[in-house]
Amino acid sequence: MNIKYFSSVIAPLCLFGFGAFGQEDPSVERGEQTFMRVGCFQCHGTNGQGSEAGTALTPDTLPPEAIANFIRFSPGRMPVYPEEILSDAEIADIVAYLEAVPEPPDPDSITVLKGLKVGE
Amino acid sequence: MTKSPEKPNVGRRKFLTGAAVAGAVTSLPSVGEAAKEGSSSKELSPGALPPSAAQMELEASSPEQINEQLAANTASAETGSFGSDFMVDVMKSLDLEYVFSNPGSSFLGLHESITVYSDNKAPEFITCMHEESAAAMANGYYKAALKPAAIMCHGTVGLQHAAMNIYNAWCDRVPLIAILGNHADANERLGATTWRHSAQDPASMVRDFTKWDDQPHSLQAFAESFVRGWKIATTPPMEPVAIVTDAHLQEMEVEDRSALKIPRYTPSEPPQGERGAVRDTAKLLVDAESPVIIVDRLARTPNGMKLLVELAELLNVPVIDIASRQNIPTSHYLNHTRKAGQLISNADVILGLEVTDFFGQVNSVNRANKTVQSRTKEGAKLVTISVNDLYMKSNYQDFQRYAPVDISVTGDGEATLPALIEEVNAALTRSHRRAIADKTKDLRKTHKDLYEESRRLAAQGWTSSPVSTGRMCMELYDKIKEEDWALVSVGASERFVSSWPHRLWNIDEHYRYLGIGAGGGVGYGLPAAVGAALANKKLGRFSVNIQCDGDFMYANGALWTAAHHRVPLLTVMHNNRAYAQETMLVQGTANRRKRGIDRSNIGTEIRNPDIDYAKLAEGMGVWSAGPIEDPDDLAPALAEAVKVVKSGYPALVDVVTQMR
Ligand code: HEC
Repeated sequence: MNIKYFSSVIAPLCLFGFGAFGQEDPSVERGEQTFMRVGCFQCHGTNGQGSEAGTALTPDTLPPEAIANFIRFSPGRMPVYPEEILSDAEIADIVAYLEAVPEPPDPDSITVLKGLKVGE
Repeated sequence: MTKSPEKPNVGRRKFLTGAAVAGAVTSLPSVGEAAKEGSSSKELSPGALPPSAAQMELEASSPEQINEQLAANTASAETGSFGSDFMVDVMKSLDLEYVFSNPGSSFLGLHESITVYSDNKAPEFITCMHEESAAAMANGYYKAALKPAAIMCHGTVGLQHAAMNIYNAWCDRVPLIAILGNHADANERLGATTWRHSAQDPASMVRDFTKWDDQPHSLQAFAESFVRGWKIATTPPMEPVAIVTDAHLQEMEVEDRSALKIPRYTPSEPPQGERGAVRDTAKLLVDAESPVIIVDRLARTPNGMKLLVELAELLNVPVIDIASRQNIPTSHYLNHTRKAGQLISNADVILGLEVTDFFGQVNSVNRANKTVQSRTKEGAKLVTISVNDLYMKSNYQDFQRYAPVDISVTGDGEATLPALIEEVNAALTRSHRRAIADKTKDLRKTHKDLYEESRRLAAQGWTSSPVSTGRMCMELYDKIKEEDWALVSVGASERFVSSWPHRLWNIDEHYRYLGIGAGGGVGYGLPAAVGAALANKKLGRFSVNIQCDGDFMYANGALWTAAHHRVPLLTVMHNNRAYAQETMLVQGTANRRKRGIDRSNIGTEIRNPDIDYAKLAEGMGVWSAGPIEDPDDLAPALAEAVKVVKSGYPALVDVVTQMR
C-alpha cells in the first residue's frame, strides 16, 4: 500500500467511523465461505496470498477499517462492493478469516525457491 | 488431359476394411509406457488413420465423378510431372520445412506431391485436427525456428476455421503462408461439395488481417507469387500472406519443366530509422536524468536482445519488457519490469521500441468510469521507434489508440538499434559516462529487491490447494532448469499465471520465451506450443507449455498431432476450472449493478462435470498425470513427465490451480 492510498482512502475512514460490525462476533468459518462466495478468492487467492489480479491480503493483513474502506471505495482496479451486496458483518467475517490464515513459509526454507540465479 | 478412365480399384467397403485391419495391427502400447521402458514404439501407420476429408469427398461422389478424378490424378504418371510437383519445387527453393494442414479435396494435387513426389520431406505434411490449430502451429513454429511455415486448407471452409489464428498471427507480427485450395473454374467442379468449397475470391475473408494475397493463374505466376509472398511476409512488419492455389493448376500436366523458372529469393533488408531522428533520440537519452526504455516486439532475433542490452548498459537505463518477444534477460540488472508504473511516472524520457500499444503504457484507463489519465510527468519526452506506421489496415483495430509523441521514428527497432548505439556513443561525454556509471550500484540493488519481493510472494500460498500458480511454476522450473528449455507458450497472457516465469525464471535466451496469442483469440496455446516444439525438436531444445484449461478445450486435437508426429512437449495444465478472466469481469459488472453477485460463475466456470485432462491426453496417446490437487504431488509427477519428454514424446500434467 502506498502513502497516497493511505491519505486518500484510509485516513478519511477514521472520520467515517467504521466499527459497527453487527451483533454476532466475526466468524473465521463464515468469513472463508463469504470470501469464496463473493469472489474475493478469484483475484486474491483462496488464502489471500495474492496474484497479479489482486494484492496479497495475507500475511500482513491490513487493519479491519482499512480493509472495509477499500472494499467500499476502491479507487483502482478492484471492483467496489457496496453495502447492498456485502454487509459490514460479512466484511468483519472476511477480516477474521484473513487474520486466521497461517504465516507462509520463509522462501529460504523452500528448496525450489532457494539458490535461483539473479543478477549478473 | 483426358485418358480412358479406369475403374476405381478402391471401393468404399475395401477401403474401410483395410483401415480396420491396419488399425488392429498397429494398436500400440500407450506412448508413455513405451517411453518409460525406453523402447521406441512402432511407427503409427497411416493406414490406422480414419478416412480423410479428401477420401470422404471421393466417397461422397458418384462413380463417374470418382473415375474422372482418378483419371486426372494419374494422367501424367509416365511423365511424373504435375503442376503441384513444380509448386513443391518452389517451396523447396525457400527451404519450407512444414505444411500444417487438415486434408481437403481442393488441394489433393499438392497433398500427393508433398507426400509422394517429395517423399513427405521438406516440406513435411503435418496432420492437424483443425485448421485453426494449423495456423497456430505455424505461428509457434515461426517464433521458435525464426522462419515461416505454411498452412494449407480449403479456401472456403478450411479458411473459415483457420481465420482466428491467422488473426492471432497478424496481431503478433508473425509471417506465415496460407495456401488456399479452390476450384475457380465452375466447369471443373465435380459435385455439390466442390461447389460449396469454391469461391470467387477466397482470400477476401482474411484480407483485413493478411499483408498480401494473390491468386496466380499459371504455374510461372505461382512461382513468382510464392516467392514474393514469402518476401513480403518476412519483411518487417512481418505478417501472414495468402496464396490461392487452384486445383486446376495443381493438376496441370507439366510438359516442359525447364520452361518454368523459380525466381531467386533475396530477403529484404528491414527498414532503418532516419539517421537525423535517431541522432535526436540519442541526444535526449544521453541528457536525460531518469530515462526508461519500454520494449515489446523488439527482438526479432537473438541479436535484438544483444543490442538492447548494449544500449541499456551504455546508458544504464532501466528496461520495462512487455515481452511479446523475449527482449532482455530476466536476470539482467536493468530489467526493472516489475517497477513499470513507478518508472514511467518518474521518467523524463521514455523510449518505446516496437511497442504496439504505446498509448496504453503512458496512460492508464480506469475501467469503472472510463476515464484516461496520463501516467507520465509534466514535460516528459516521448519517443517511439517502430514499424507500426508502415503497414496498417483499417478494419480490425489492433493498431491501438493513437499516441502523441515528441519523436516518432519509423523503422524496424532491431535494425535501427546499431545506429542508435553509435549515436549515443558519439554523444556521450566523459562526465556523462561517469554519472551513468555511478548509477550501477543502485540499479543492481533495485533489480535484486524486485526479485526478492517476488520470491517472498511466491512462498505465500505455497501449501494452498488448489495449487498456487507460484508453486506450480516454480516446481516446474526446478525440473527443467538444467535442460536447454524453452517456454513455448503461456496462452493468451502470462498474467494468467501471475507472470511467475518472468518474475523468477532465468529467461536468458531469445528462444526461452515466445510471447502470447497476441489477438487474444482463444485456442492458440496448445497448437502454438506444438508448432514451436516441432521446431525445437530439431534444435535440441526442451519445450514446455503452460496451458490454460479454457484454451485447451478449443483445440485439444493438437495433442494428437504431437503424439502422431512424436513432438516432445511438456504441457502443464493451469486448470483453474474456469474462464477466469471473464469470471472476474462479470464479477465486477455485477458489483457495479448491485443486484446480487453470486452468479458470476454462470457461464464462466468449467465444472460439473470437471474435465479430466489427463484422461483426454491418454486417449490421444499422450503420457499424462493428474489431476493434481495436493501441491506435494506435483514434483514427482513433473519429474516423470520430464523423463517422458526427454525420451522424445509429449506429456501432460494436469494441475488444479488457483485462478491466477
Ligand atoms: C476482480 C478482482 C478482485 C476481486 C473480485 C476482489 N479484489 Fe480486492 N483487489 C483487487 C485489486 C486489483 C486490488 C489492488 C487495487 C489497486 O491497487 O488499485 C485489490 C485490493 C484489495 C485490498 C487492498 C489491499 C492493499 O494492501 O492495498 C483489499 C483489502 C482487498 N482488495 C480486499 C478484497 C476483498 C475482501 C474482496 C472480496 C470481497 C476483494 N478484494 C475482491 C482485485 C480484486
